Amino acid sequence: MHKIEIDAEIDLLSENRRLAAENRKFLREQGIVAVNIMGAIGSGKTLFIEKTVEALRDIRIGVILGDVICRADYERVAAHDVVAEPVNTGKECHLDAHLIHHRIRKFEDVDLLLIENVGNLICPVDFDLGEDFRVVMVSVTEGDDVVEKHPEIFRLADVIIINKVALAEFVEADVDKMEKDARNLNPEARIIRMDLKKDIGFEEWIEFLRGVLNVSGNSG
Amino acid sequence: MHEMSYAEAILENLLNLAEKNNAREIKKAHLVIGELLLINPEQLEFCFRAISRETIAENCTLEIEFVKPEIRCVKCGKEFDAPAGVCECGGFVSVNGGKEMILKSVIMEVD
Repeated sequence: MHKIEIDAEIDLLSENRRLAAENRKFLREQGIVAVNIMGAIGSGKTLFIEKTVEALRDIRIGVILGDVICRADYERVAAHDVVAEPVNTGKECHLDAHLIHHRIRKFEDVDLLLIENVGNLICPVDFDLGEDFRVVMVSVTEGDDVVEKHPEIFRLADVIIINKVALAEFVEADVDKMEKDARNLNPEARIIRMDLKKDIGFEEWIEFLRGVLNVSGNSG
Repeated sequence: MHEMSYAEAILENLLNLAEKNNAREIKKAHLVIGELLLINPEQLEFCFRAISRETIAENCTLEIEFVKPEIRCVKCGKEFDAPAGVCECGGFVSVNGGKEMILKSVIMEVD
């Protein structure tokens, strides 16, 4: 018996990157626009998806719903007559490229794939799924310091949605501060103030999304 | 907690490496981890201990070396400790690195 030392130099993130690249290739070949929707528990992700599905009835939409153990969000979205698939991570609070890879062929006929990540502002950040762009949804009820406390997820977002703005005065949240923090971390991102229950800002999102779908030739 | 995903990747790669080298036991793994991955080393250790039980890596020590990202203003060159977005000079603050997760080297027991 003797000891040996091996210079391994193995990149442990390469497997997720490889699978994300495969997902991306499949989505591109099929002409599917994929959106990774992230945000804390209760920020409004599922209602946002439900309303998006209803607003784009002329487009074929698929939805993947990530959760740790529950099917409630899946049942809510599936009721809207879309191709939906629940993904239960079992123990992890983020989706990864491997979990998507298993299920992606189910969506080959859709134009738009909405992926609702597990409710969390930290863990999903470094797991590319193969998406075209990322939406991070945050609500004023989480506290107006939530953006500055989670810089990575906002720094890497393409669209930042500040939801529940109609409640700001009741929870004493400074929406301007939240937007300024987001803008400071990510000068390039599109920032939308929204209230899904009061129909504030939602049209702006749908216009943006239609723009993306038109560029990809998926106008329905 | 995202440490379990990383612990699984570490264990899987260690066992593959051990098999290739006909090792009897894995003694030590040297890991290089970027600070921006926000890994809690105690949680990583805990997850690794739990999943490596009854494998040849169950007594493996994890030696973790954290590496900092390079965060600086592209305009004036000022360096920052954390992602800052925009510098006071108005320049964009770029972030490079800090997302590494490398299994650098491994010590094993072979016949």
